[in-house]
Amino acid sequence: MKQQTLIETASYRALCRLEIGHICSALRSSLVLLLIFSAAFLLTVQEAEAAKTIKVAVAGPFTGSVAAFGEMIKKGAQLRAKEINGNGGINSKELELIFEDDTGKDKEASLVATRIASNKKILAVVGHFNSSCSLAGKPIYKRNRIVELSPGSTNVNVCKGSDYTFRNLYRDDFQGSFSAKYIKGVLTDVKTVAVFFDNDDYGRGLRDSFKQSAEKAGLAIVADEAYDRDTTDYKAQLTKIKSASPDLIFIAGLYSQAGLILSQARESGITAQFFGADGVDSPKLLEIAGEAANGIYITTPFIFGLEGNEEAQRVAIAFEQEFGKAPDTWAALTYDAVGMIVEAIEKRGESRKAIRDHLGSLTSPEKGYQGITGLTYFDENGDCLKPAYVKQVVNGKFVAAKVQFLD
Amino acid sequence: MTLFLEQIVNGLVLGGIYALIAVGYTMVYGVIQLINFAHGEIFMFGAYFAFLCLAVLKFPLWLAVLASILLCALMGVVIDLIAYRPLRNAPRLSALITAIGISLILQNLARMIWGAEPRRDLANAKSAFLSQTVIIPGGAQLSYLDLSIIILAILLMVGLNRLISLTRIGKAMRACAQDKMAASLMGIDTNRVIGATFAIGSALGAVAGIMVGMRETIEPTMGYYKGVAAFAAAVLGGIGNITGAMLGGVVLGIAEVLGAGYISSGYRVAISYILMILVIVFRPTGLLGRASAKRA
Repeated sequence: MKQQTLIETASYRALCRLEIGHICSALRSSLVLLLIFSAAFLLTVQEAEAAKTIKVAVAGPFTGSVAAFGEMIKKGAQLRAKEINGNGGINSKELELIFEDDTGKDKEASLVATRIASNKKILAVVGHFNSSCSLAGKPIYKRNRIVELSPGSTNVNVCKGSDYTFRNLYRDDFQGSFSAKYIKGVLTDVKTVAVFFDNDDYGRGLRDSFKQSAEKAGLAIVADEAYDRDTTDYKAQLTKIKSASPDLIFIAGLYSQAGLILSQARESGITAQFFGADGVDSPKLLEIAGEAANGIYITTPFIFGLEGNEEAQRVAIAFEQEFGKAPDTWAALTYDAVGMIVEAIEKRGESRKAIRDHLGSLTSPEKGYQGITGLTYFDENGDCLKPAYVKQVVNGKFVAAKVQFLD
Repeated sequence: MTLFLEQIVNGLVLGGIYALIAVGYTMVYGVIQLINFAHGEIFMFGAYFAFLCLAVLKFPLWLAVLASILLCALMGVVIDLIAYRPLRNAPRLSALITAIGISLILQNLARMIWGAEPRRDLANAKSAFLSQTVIIPGGAQLSYLDLSIIILAILLMVGLNRLISLTRIGKAMRACAQDKMAASLMGIDTNRVIGATFAIGSALGAVAGIMVGMRETIEPTMGYYKGVAAFAAAVLGGIGNITGAMLGGVVLGIAEVLGAGYISSGYRVAISYILMILVIVFRPTGLLGRASAKRA
């Protein structure tokens, strides 16, 4: 109706003035309107068709300096989706994953979060990976009432203050104190420790909790240095750490920087034992550090190949057949995270609220979700209690450390 | 004492790299008053070209280095030809924005071709000799690579200085820097001189890129971060002044390292920029810049 009146007034005016130019412009504007209307019509048709699939977003660092995490997250999610769709989908609808790249940066993550949240067809988000990114997305997801289930963010504050943010791995306060206890209990030669941390949410949080627990355990902190993720030269800090001659250097950061730190440390003649957290847990670490990676201990939320976990073995084999390389911790956690979202949709229905209600109801071990990475259930914040494992690099390969602390 | 000496050595390595890049900014600025923001990307391409020659084309190291330097020199000339020459008489702002555009295009081009992942290929391809360490008098320990970065930077700086002050092309560059119009009236082909300026600056940038690639990682954003620092070094030394750029690079490198070593590693970069701002406040033309100095 509106369109017609517009065209009419335009043509009427044009005729009144008897100017050909005006007639032309009226024709042109009506043509433009026509195009807009037909495009809108086409879009509605498409929308009706697209509702045959169930859309879940996967947000992570698919490009950028920590893209190796993103690659594993993407593949873990793809494998799960393929298995689900091969078994008839969710309520006989196809699960469609929408990958959004936050490049591991918080600014990009807010943009991605807005894009996901404003697309009403997306029912939930698996992601983000980096703690800074999950934190950046949190208020946006909360406002739009859509679940954010992170398979990688460990910063203490990630889930606090939002009913819509969950994670399926431990927190850094746990990881930090676990690392300190492990060092104290297993690496008994270590008396003095240096901390070298990435100056972002993840690195600072982990450093704080590690430092506190290490001091409590009676380890002396002899150096405490920061680095910026954009720099690739760490010699200044390493020289300072070297002068404090610590027995062990704890790296609270990500693999791409940690790899360089390891090789530059060996170059500067540092012979101390290295200890890293889950941020350095990526096969890429071995590629970047080369021989310098040998000997480093790493805490991680999950290890493939532990005895008695047949389901994980099956997934590892399927993953390798599908992608031609072995899965890592993050692929496993993403595999489980997608599974949790799908379970929620199957049990409670296809809406953002249903998913949130389901995850919110997993409050005890009995109600928890049993995945390949163990049992996941949430406390009132949306955090979960899961054990930490320890890996070591031996001869250029990750192996489970001889001593595991599980209690 | 050893600690201090080691930090100074660390600073000299970083400063040498900054100086090599900063010279490229300052030479171009001296001749055509353009801040060539794409220079950081040429530095980055230097590393990628060397990686390409080594890892993909299987060239020996010396040939890969040479090829990368020549390719970058060519790249500098071509960028000038297609992006800056048409704007030679346009307002300076247009050329500046073009430079930012070229920088973004090159950065994303590298991301498209080689991906955003940091690569260690160049570092892994260098000869094992370079990663061995040596203890210099005073007790500081450094790798042969770091040692050769310092020596190479000094040699190239001295060479560049000789080139500018002794050769015909150097004289022509100085003439163009003083007054382009008068220089062209004296029969100097200014476009050729400007092309040579881009070629030399880019070649030095490539050398820095290759060395950083061998020492650290190569990634598409490396040119941005190191480029900004080197640009700051050029400004610190007095933009347009070649000796100033060298000095600025070394001062900034040492300031960054000492700031991280003795004040706070969390503010490593901030400390060096605060120093730069302080210098600019008290000497707006930089350490060696003079308001009406010859610029190249």
